[in-house]
Amino acid sequence: MESNLKSPPKLTRRNYSKIIRPIFGLLVFGSILWRLYEVLIAQQAYSAEIWVRLLISGLIIGGVYALIAIGYTLVYGILFMINFAHGEIMMIGTFAGYFLFEATKSINVAAEGSPPLSFSDAYPLISVILAFLVGMTVAATAGFFLEKIAYRPLRKAPRLVPLISAIGASFFLQNAAQLLFSPQVRDYTNPQAIARGSGWSLIINGSRVVITYTGALTFILSILLMIGLYVMVQKTKLGKAMRAVASDKNTAALMGIDVDAIISRTFIISGALAGAAGVMWGLHNGLVHFFVGFLPGIKAFTAAVLGGIGNIPGAMLGGMFLGLIESLGPTALGISYQLKDVIAFVIMIVILIFRPSGILGEVLSEEKV
Amino acid sequence: MKVSRFFIFAIIFVMILGACAPTSPEVEEPAIDAPAVEEPVGADTDALCANDDYGCAVIAPGQTIKIGMGSPMTGGNAAFGIDAEQAGLIAVADADDLYGFQFELIAEDDGGTPEGGAAVANKFAADQTLVGVAGHLFSGATFAALPIYEEIGIPMLSPSATNPDLTRQGSRVFNRVPFTDEAQGAAAAEYMYDVLGFRKVAFLHDGQDYGKGLAEIAAATFESLGGEVVELMGITPGEADYSPVLSTIAAKSPDALYFGGYTQEGVVLTNNMKTSGMEDVVFFGCDGTFGVDYLSRTGANGEGTYHATPRTPPETPKKDAFDAAYIDRWGQAPGELSPFTWNSYDCTTALIEKVREVAVLGGDGSLYIPRGALVDAVRGLANWQGISGTYTCAPVGDCNIEGPTFWIVENGEFVAVN
Repeated sequence: MESNLKSPPKLTRRNYSKIIRPIFGLLVFGSILWRLYEVLIAQQAYSAEIWVRLLISGLIIGGVYALIAIGYTLVYGILFMINFAHGEIMMIGTFAGYFLFEATKSINVAAEGSPPLSFSDAYPLISVILAFLVGMTVAATAGFFLEKIAYRPLRKAPRLVPLISAIGASFFLQNAAQLLFSPQVRDYTNPQAIARGSGWSLIINGSRVVITYTGALTFILSILLMIGLYVMVQKTKLGKAMRAVASDKNTAALMGIDVDAIISRTFIISGALAGAAGVMWGLHNGLVHFFVGFLPGIKAFTAAVLGGIGNIPGAMLGGMFLGLIESLGPTALGISYQLKDVIAFVIMIVILIFRPSGILGEVLSEEKV
Repeated sequence: MKVSRFFIFAIIFVMILGACAPTSPEVEEPAIDAPAVEEPVGADTDALCANDDYGCAVIAPGQTIKIGMGSPMTGGNAAFGIDAEQAGLIAVADADDLYGFQFELIAEDDGGTPEGGAAVANKFAADQTLVGVAGHLFSGATFAALPIYEEIGIPMLSPSATNPDLTRQGSRVFNRVPFTDEAQGAAAAEYMYDVLGFRKVAFLHDGQDYGKGLAEIAAATFESLGGEVVELMGITPGEADYSPVLSTIAAKSPDALYFGGYTQEGVVLTNNMKTSGMEDVVFFGCDGTFGVDYLSRTGANGEGTYHATPRTPPETPKKDAFDAAYIDRWGQAPGELSPFTWNSYDCTTALIEKVREVAVLGGDGSLYIPRGALVDAVRGLANWQGISGTYTCAPVGDCNIEGPTFWIVENGEFVAVN
């Protein structure tokens, strides 16, 4: 590195791409602005209620992405590896919540002689709290064992090795779930009070905009969890220890911090957040199957990179940002919804051209990398 | 210590893998060297096989005559595949032995995708005793599988692959019994315009061979009738939330949303419509969205939606016998899981009958099935009486060109409307 800095600048391929890249970025950015102008100002094709609806669905999915993205970021911050099995941890949380709702639904709490009333319909709040507790506990346990089995033995191995192990763990968990729970798509049975699709109605321009209960729950709970996590990392002893391990494992160990225990706890925390995201996903979208974690996992990883991997507020911001782009992007740019992932990724590339370490990412020191 | 623990997990993992591995392939091995062993063959079978375009499938004594079936048996559209397999198993059970050789149905999961279709087709092509395929069910998988069968001469008779282009490629082996998407798309557009009086309709599809073709044909017909196509767009299949795309379409205030695709996406769309400003818009599905899965997973949201199926079979003694056998064996009414139950039975039975026509018992006790002759025999299906109706194959391979029946969901049940 040192010698590179001292040598005089030559027109190498690398320098060349340094000029080309911003130009490409500006071109894409310009064309996006032009499309935005076309749709928003020249055509004015959509009225306010449409935008509100899109905003709502973007915020909801953004909250889920953000919660999962935090898991990627926490693990990356401490171990400098991408935990590709994280989406599967979310899937496990979704299944745990599913089985809890099935169980509470099968308990009949109606008095003798009156029509049957299931526990989940009678006490929706308790069963939802239970579902989140169970989903988070199971997913946290899965995260704990995932680290123990797949990553800890490889702690001293080159960095590519745990990455491969992560991909293997992801396949293993997916296929295990397929064998255990069958490959069928199941539907979450929500308590009657928060049935999917029910919610508060807003009247905008004379048409009804629904804010679903499940959507509101997802959004508010994800914000609360994120605030809780941020406070924990910044204020508590555990958080301090996590930050210490993240900045330098060896020095942290010298200061009397049990590095292995902190890493375990990091996986437990990220697992719990993914579990909560899984239950939210189930309550709001209603679908659960062995593959359910894959797509949100990949999207959340993207969100974490977008926000600056290793940075917790960055992951939250990246998640929300990705959710909003996915939801608003195709409409705002007047492009087919089949291309929504393309739009999201193009915008990500443009941002990474100008800020290679993500929106809030800091430049990592050479030693840390 | 760390290494040894990891090693133990590796061993456990391998053991689990071993326990999960299928144990059946040994059965197929004799089939592969069968032609080499069969030297002392009667002259008639020798000449028959030498003159056949594709040669013979040789079934040694003790082996079964296999009929393949490729369909999605896992995932959101699994009901189609499971239904087809259940109907096919009854067809095989109904078939008498041929010279002491039993018929066997091999149903494989192709996921309804092109990749899956090609994988299943390659597996079938490698099996010497597999002589015909009652499938594949989905158009996308069929497109991918077709050239593989074409090469070695396995006749196909699909109960449900409806993409019009399938029979336009000049394929020799591909035949099907349902109406084409052209017929369905046009009929749906006419039904929406003439009977339901819709003038503004949005058309969505899942971007796959079946759904895209269907939606495009329906949209073109609707426009030619004088209706307004407010949107013709693809969605990404397999997602859990389509409310953004629906919100955008709601801005164009259509009377109905036509969807070309399968149950999985149809269910999510129907449920999302209630929260995307499309409460009053009618969901108009297709034969890909028909089935009990749709009803149970949409519940009240599915009320008043339209779907299509092949013509319901007429009440005949043959149908009653099949229905009774199906209910008896599977505890479920035929036509509930998917609309293609009777077609699947018919396809399997027709293939078995054609095998009977061309098969020759050799002097060595093996059964010789000339593949080329079988391909031609299946294409030559004429006035063949199945449960769903009478089949006569056109030279391109379309064996039934009756239009669809439309259904509306009322009180959680499908009710035929035409």
